[in-house]
Amino acid sequence: MGVAGKQNTSRLNAKGAGATMMDIKLNANRESGITFDPSSVPSKKFAKTRRALSSSAPPTVAFIGFFLVWEALVRLIGLNALTLPAPSSVLSELFGHLSFYLPHAWTTLYEAIGGFLLGSVLALTGGIIMAHSRLIERSLLPLAVLANVTPISAIAPLLMIWFGFGALPKVLIAAIVTFFPMLVNSITGFRSVDANNYEYMKSLHASKMEIFLKLRLPNSLPYLFSAARTCVSLSVMGAVVGEWSGSTEGLGNLVMLSSNNMQMNQVFASILLLALMGIILTNLVRLVERRVLSWHSSEQSKG
Amino acid sequence: MSVILVESLSKRFSRKGQWTEALRNINLELDSGTFVSLIGPSGCGKSTLLRIIGGLETADAGKVSIGGMTPLEAQASKVFGFVPQAPALFPWRTIIENMQLPQEVNRKGGAAYESNREDETELLRAVGLGDFTNAYPKELSGGMQQRVGIARAFASGAPILLMDEPFSALDEITREKISHQLMSIWEKHQKTVVFVTHNIREAVFLSDKVVVMSSRPGRITEIVDINLPHPRTKMEENDPIFHDYVHQIRALLQERWD
Ligand SMILES: Nc1ncnc2c1ncn2[C@@H]1O[C@H](COP(=O)(O)OP(=O)(O)OP(=O)(O)O)[C@@H](O)[C@H]1O
Ligand SMILES: [Mg+2]
Repeated sequence: MGVAGKQNTSRLNAKGAGATMMDIKLNANRESGITFDPSSVPSKKFAKTRRALSSSAPPTVAFIGFFLVWEALVRLIGLNALTLPAPSSVLSELFGHLSFYLPHAWTTLYEAIGGFLLGSVLALTGGIIMAHSRLIERSLLPLAVLANVTPISAIAPLLMIWFGFGALPKVLIAAIVTFFPMLVNSITGFRSVDANNYEYMKSLHASKMEIFLKLRLPNSLPYLFSAARTCVSLSVMGAVVGEWSGSTEGLGNLVMLSSNNMQMNQVFASILLLALMGIILTNLVRLVERRVLSWHSSEQSKG
Repeated sequence: MSVILVESLSKRFSRKGQWTEALRNINLELDSGTFVSLIGPSGCGKSTLLRIIGGLETADAGKVSIGGMTPLEAQASKVFGFVPQAPALFPWRTIIENMQLPQEVNRKGGAAYESNREDETELLRAVGLGDFTNAYPKELSGGMQQRVGIARAFASGAPILLMDEPFSALDEITREKISHQLMSIWEKHQKTVVFVTHNIREAVFLSDKVVVMSSRPGRITEIVDINLPHPRTKMEENDPIFHDYVHQIRALLQERWD
């Protein structure tokens, strides 16, 4: 397994460096591909690729290892497929019926993203108001805290009663779970401006609006992105909880139905898709973050 | 012609019911195009005086006139270029973008000053940062960031520059180097500068006028005119007149210390 991982790495590296594929193939044939020494190529682009690979290689290996052990356990112990299906059978279930799963995934995805966006917009609006008025913050923030500590699964059925079984209540639940972290982080981000920079803006006679747009808003971006990273996956959870409380489609709906029917392959295929969705969304946010926050000091140290 | 006029100015602060007299009966008249230093022990109200002149703080009594305007009116018409103790650069803006910030805000007040990239890069070059126009502040050392602050103040078009111990966080050598750069830029632009410092040699080297203050309550002990020829950057390291001024101001400060 370890060797397989390394082999893979060095081959990709070689591509990044623009070395001829011929060399690599020869090397690979002769000495199982480990002879290529990446450090001997002093290319900046290459160093970047290598860094990306060296940071993604360990988790990749761990993932593959996890699934291999799982597969082996199921086969060796001969676990009942009703208890725990092997990864291979989950995958073949998933890829055998993609056209069945994808519409469900799509439903959950737009519920989650819709909720995330709605929650974020509301949180930012609230954050702008609360960051400018202690009085409003003191009166309204406790309400937001109350909403936040109430278990969302307890609220979900209520929303079904009010808004029916369509997408709307799911979007609302995803919005509710997104709202609080985004609100708190936006208030912090808007407020925690450097006192020197604030005073400097004052000395230029900058208006409240200018101070907000040029100082508070950019200052809040690291806080907002850090909240957004957790909130996108929270919003998927919100959509699933919503689907559990009453729905006709979506991955959460699938998980519920198929576990009632003991269709374990289907349960696991849905879970796998949900996990993938979470990973993809989090990484999308991270990608945008890297673009937008290139100036931020914590962004450079991340390799 | 006096551009900054301070008359019987007083300011008190209260903290936990205790009143501190930060400034008592300050009278000051500063001519346009002069370099003036405020020097005095810690807590004597130098920053407070500077902030009142710049409209960042209000006085309890007395009058401040900036070319006939109140400090706030002057601030609104972009008269001041402020250089605080810490660099005050926005981390998400490149150096050149930070230089342009004064032109971007309060456009009503400063229509007369248009951003001029050539001047800005020229000034960056003058402080030895010509290669850093597109760098982010985090890529610069503290001293380099402070130099950006100075270049920005001169580039902004503001006629009065208020500097509150801009070099206090720097080492001795860097400090001397930057004050030389500041002097040579000033000799070219001839703006009115009010400069707060703790460093006597720095004050004498830079100023036309040194305002010596004492504390508790904060007041002006003496105003010393420095009659040293320009360009100062060419001045001999151990010019006897320079040293006389340094001794004189040191004596004035010590007198009040005991
Ligand atoms: N916002 C404030 N609230 C309460 N007291 C203040 C405030 N600002 C200044 N003071 C007090 O006013 C006095 C003068 O302060 P100021 O900062 O002007 O001194 P300074 O001469 O600049 O000192 P330093 O050289 O240490 O910077 C001090 O005793 C200080 O404690
Ligand atoms: Mg001070």
